[in-house]
Amino acid sequence: MGDDRPDKPAPSIGFWRQAWRRFRRRRLSMLATYFIVFLSLVAIFSPMIAGTKPIVCKYKGSLYFPCMGYFNRSWENPIFQKDRFRRIYPRNLKKKDPDSWAIWPLVYQDPYRPVRDNEWEGGKGNPYGAEGGPSRQNLFGTFKTGFDIFASMIHGTRIALLVGFVSTGIAGLIGITVGAIAGYMGGKTDIVLSRIIEVVMCIPSLVLILALLAVIERPSIWHMMAVLGLTGWTGIARLTRGEFLRLRESEFVAAARSLGAGRARIIFRHILPNALAPVMVPIAFGIAAAILIEAGLSLLGFGAPPPNPSWGTVLNSGKETLQSGYWWQLVFPGIAIFLTVLAYNLIGEGIQEATDPRLADPGH
Amino acid sequence: MLPYLIRRLLIGLLTLILITFVIYALIRHMPGSPLDADPAMMDPSKMPSKADVDRMSAVYGLDKPWHEAYYHWLKNTVALDFGNSFSQKKPVSELIAQRIGPTLKLSLTSLLLTYLLAIPLGLVSTVRSGKADERVMSFFLYMLYSFPSFVAALFLQLLFAVKFSGTWLELPLLGDRSSNFDDMGSLEQVWDQMRHMILPVTCFTYGSLAYYCRFVRANMEEVIRQDYIRTARAKGLGPARILIHHAFRNTLIPFVTLMGLTLPGLLSGAIILEQIFNWPGMGQLFFFSIVSRDYPTIMALTLMFSILTLLGQLFADIMYAFVDPRIKFS
Repeated sequence: MGDDRPDKPAPSIGFWRQAWRRFRRRRLSMLATYFIVFLSLVAIFSPMIAGTKPIVCKYKGSLYFPCMGYFNRSWENPIFQKDRFRRIYPRNLKKKDPDSWAIWPLVYQDPYRPVRDNEWEGGKGNPYGAEGGPSRQNLFGTFKTGFDIFASMIHGTRIALLVGFVSTGIAGLIGITVGAIAGYMGGKTDIVLSRIIEVVMCIPSLVLILALLAVIERPSIWHMMAVLGLTGWTGIARLTRGEFLRLRESEFVAAARSLGAGRARIIFRHILPNALAPVMVPIAFGIAAAILIEAGLSLLGFGAPPPNPSWGTVLNSGKETLQSGYWWQLVFPGIAIFLTVLAYNLIGEGIQEATDPRLADPGH
Repeated sequence: MLPYLIRRLLIGLLTLILITFVIYALIRHMPGSPLDADPAMMDPSKMPSKADVDRMSAVYGLDKPWHEAYYHWLKNTVALDFGNSFSQKKPVSELIAQRIGPTLKLSLTSLLLTYLLAIPLGLVSTVRSGKADERVMSFFLYMLYSFPSFVAALFLQLLFAVKFSGTWLELPLLGDRSSNFDDMGSLEQVWDQMRHMILPVTCFTYGSLAYYCRFVRANMEEVIRQDYIRTARAKGLGPARILIHHAFRNTLIPFVTLMGLTLPGLLSGAIILEQIFNWPGMGQLFFFSIVSRDYPTIMALTLMFSILTLLGQLFADIMYAFVDPRIKFS
């Protein structure tokens, strides 16, 4: 960039730089992006925000990170199991090693069990039922079993984001591949692939999802993501196909072909980067849809199996206790789902406007 | 036009066969069969004998491999025989006929409300474009558009059926009629049904209302910049006449195609919403038939929705060319 001489025209800024510049100008879309970044941070640091296992503790002369157990059971140091902590750290740390110290999560609550009396010196157990409204101890209230909702939702952020990313990632991969092949090859391949796209499109998605989930005998959250991905790729495929149909006739493809570039190279190196911008819009909307479907399936009783905290399962428990009027079980997960879906919709719309060539800045 | 239609219909038929084939294969591979998924069968006294199970398997084609059974199903379907429901022991067509009423009651009311509200709102927001009131309204509509309908359903239930219970604002929680419906006078019956409809119709409507408003607005924004609008204004026509007569009429094309695409939604109902409101409609029927492995019902419903989806697309394409003579069939 440094050797701009006056006789040489300034290099035009790239398409993505320009799109990013235009995206940044949309305040709401940027706000939504910050929100998703914030949620990602919450998801990554969830064991440090809400948990009953110390982030770091010094115990019998060594340092441990028991909070990692929230990511994966086996990452919790086995010494605490051997010393019979029974998952109650505060009391046992002091009892078994008076010199121990620990840094605790911001909120001492657990998504997998209710906090009981005297875990701390004189600490009170979680209330339940009608008593379990939001309080200093339980910020978002408790379930009717006494489990803390704030902790469940903080840890549920991981699932909400994962469901969106993984399932849309799978959908994007299938959709872009199928669409690219159909659009680039044309002819009979296109006819066959387009028919397949149409077939999958015509089947009501929830029916297909329920049928696929029923085929798997004990669906886990990963199965659900795979099923959502396998059913959600058609829109992306159609769009990619259209873009490829348009671009394969363009001059730069003809140039690449005459230079002897292979088919795969033309598809992935030359056309795909140019076709990607419009495809990103349904991907952003697809993430919102995946989060919605996960929550909806939870309401139908097909959600993440019980010990897994997810926003959908919190909402579902709220639905079951609706007649008792425990509003906190509905309002907090409902708002969380709404805000996340809204954020992805705003991002999708931002991308749409930022990458629309008709709206490009003149002069570049 | 005619060759185009014939070709589209033939392709559609092929698509239908593919769809039903895929779904049939899927449901036959679900664990459990309708003969053991029925809770009544769990009762030992009602447990069917081995001979009974064999007889029923033969009747329903469960003893054959699934591709043969599919062929069997296809043959019956062409003869318009959809078979009997396993779990309800009634012809599937009768079941569907029972469910279609409640679903249409919701979807038609909601469609009508959407159109009645969305067009004026869309026009108003075009006129007031950029002003403070329009920005507030658009923002609010966008929020509504992103608000998940099942969350709204639960919130409304909590508010009107639980928190307001005992006051005049109380609305029923579930179902399409009260339990003492049969003892009511006819006027009371109408009132009772309407009260049951308020919450579901609200949830069905608000999302599409927001969507349609934005749709009308977006199309109007494009038309309003055209030269003939400037001409009309230069002629000295009033703003209302320009807006409705000259601009809005030209946005009807995309509107018509949108109508075609909403066709299947009218009859399919909504699985999650109907389940939340315990509404005896098609969505609920579909859900129950999947849970109870009721193959004939699942197949009949899939066929119906697929036909409607394909017809809706065809309708949209034809109307598109019909209202815009520049488009040619090819």
